[in-house]
Amino acid sequence: MSDVKPIPLTFRIIAGIALLVLLVPVSIVVMAGFNSGEFLRFPPDGLSLRWIKEFFVSQTFLPAFKMSFGLALATTFVSTVLGTLASVFLTRSTSRWREMLRALFIMPVILPGVVLGLALYVFYIWTDLGLARSLPGLLIGHVLVTMPFVIATVTASLVDFDLSIEEAARALGASPLQAFMKVTLPNITPGIMAGTIFAFIVSFGQFELTLFLSTPDLQTLPIAIYTSLRYAFEPTAAAAGIFAIFLVTVSTLLTSRLVNLKKLLRRH
Amino acid sequence: MSDIRLENLTKTYGHTHAVEAVTLKIEEGEFYALLGPSGCGKSTTLRMVAGFVMPSMGRIWIGGQDVTPLPPEKRDIGIVFQNYAIFPHMNVAENIAFGLKLRKQSRAQIETSVKAALDQVGLTGFGDRYQRNLSGGQQQRVALARVLVTKPRILLLDEPLSALDKALREEMKFWIKNLQQELGITTIYVTHDQDEALTMSDRIGVMRAGHVEQSGTPREIYEEPATLFVTSFIGQSNVLDVTCLEAGEGRATVRLADTVLKAGLRHRVPVGAGAKLVIRPENVLMGAEAEATGVPLLEARVLGETYQGAMLRYRLDVAGQELVAERQNQMHLACWEPGATVKIGWTPERARLLPAG
Repeated sequence: MSDVKPIPLTFRIIAGIALLVLLVPVSIVVMAGFNSGEFLRFPPDGLSLRWIKEFFVSQTFLPAFKMSFGLALATTFVSTVLGTLASVFLTRSTSRWREMLRALFIMPVILPGVVLGLALYVFYIWTDLGLARSLPGLLIGHVLVTMPFVIATVTASLVDFDLSIEEAARALGASPLQAFMKVTLPNITPGIMAGTIFAFIVSFGQFELTLFLSTPDLQTLPIAIYTSLRYAFEPTAAAAGIFAIFLVTVSTLLTSRLVNLKKLLRRH
Repeated sequence: MSDIRLENLTKTYGHTHAVEAVTLKIEEGEFYALLGPSGCGKSTTLRMVAGFVMPSMGRIWIGGQDVTPLPPEKRDIGIVFQNYAIFPHMNVAENIAFGLKLRKQSRAQIETSVKAALDQVGLTGFGDRYQRNLSGGQQQRVALARVLVTKPRILLLDEPLSALDKALREEMKFWIKNLQQELGITTIYVTHDQDEALTMSDRIGVMRAGHVEQSGTPREIYEEPATLFVTSFIGQSNVLDVTCLEAGEGRATVRLADTVLKAGLRHRVPVGAGAKLVIRPENVLMGAEAEATGVPLLEARVLGETYQGAMLRYRLDVAGQELVAERQNQMHLACWEPGATVKIGWTPERARLLPAG
């Protein structure tokens, strides 16, 4: 006799269909990238590494990939630091502005990217600080849309965090900053790590906002793929997609591995 | 080691007074319990002494030093929380070393102190365990070791036993008390458990609604409760409606169901008006025992009997008022069936008169 299954069959079927819908396009992109033919098509004409090689010598995709990677790294760093600080305020402050600030921080993911992009673009032009169509301007935009993810995950771990642990550190002689760095921070690391993964992925794949803020010499990978597909249907775009999928998957696995590894090490 | 003085300590949140004008002096080396129901302000008081809550008014002195404006880390206190607050990302040794590292002690010094602290709390060899591998009682010991190793001036304990099961609680009660006496450290112990307060403390402050209702030795609190609240919160009491006939120096004469009785008096009770007579169940004498003492007797009807092994509990009716009497379950003592009438009485010293309401 097998155990009673806690998940109804209907749910399993729905989950299976959903997984299929999610995975099929991804595998199509991957296969299209290994196409041996001239054009982006599915099913592929044959298998080859032709377009993968092409990606490495491409004048648009490789720089765009590096650009996206660098921008995502910088965004993740800034977002994680600012988002963590914001989360501490949002969970611990008794200020009456707290709820309003929370709404403001979350806003960038609620607003359509196009609206936010347009708003930032107009704002940059209006302030005339040289932010329009510049790397710092793009970074600010990416930080705005990724920070809500960091805030969400870090806030969740701060809410679970038992404040008396920090208080115990204070009573033992730690200053507020020491108590936070030595006791609170190590205990909310899983939340912060989850936030960084989100921030990296969201920034790496960000499209609408970037469309408004980038220039031909400031092209991110999503923009480069989009532009190339508008004019030519070359499989290099799919090859670039393979690298994007690879990067995002590896970084996610790696980070979750690192976090879990730390937990494992602590156990004994 | 230091004494603690609280002067007019008050904490208000909006319009509610969490703690109102608490003035206390806790002597050097004393074990002082703040006892009261939840929400009475005992924890807030402790948190003000620790420095986590800023008083709205009043001052706090530790060893003659006004610490009111100081943050917790500058107060040189030790606090143990209800959930022990062991740092989960550090092992036991690192937990205990935490305060010493902040005090910039040398590696060798810290190692020696940590080892001594572990021995002191009976956790020798537990240094590399983590919090999740410790039982509640062990966490409790680690929390105490972590605090005591820094040699704090005072020790603050916030319901430290409430998370433990009953058997362990009994054991830890005596263990903590012994440790405290050994070290001679001034201690404030917050609890809602009257047993803990009575057995562990040198003195108890009973709190209600932000006030200290009574402060005194366990014996004073139990035997001479100052208010009806203290009476009902500590142990069990019969509270009877009586008429005050005469109120003198520490003694009052009252009438209960046509019988004139005497009772101890601490408060001003208006003569001729209604008052409350308080008597503990174990002090109500029944039958031959009552008659033998020569005290004024009352006629009671037995409503019911509860068998409790070592004790017998009788529910009695005296002129329409119900009261409970408790006596040892011994062979030579008489028993009464429900419905029977029995003479009862008590020695005047055991009864107290308190103002009504």
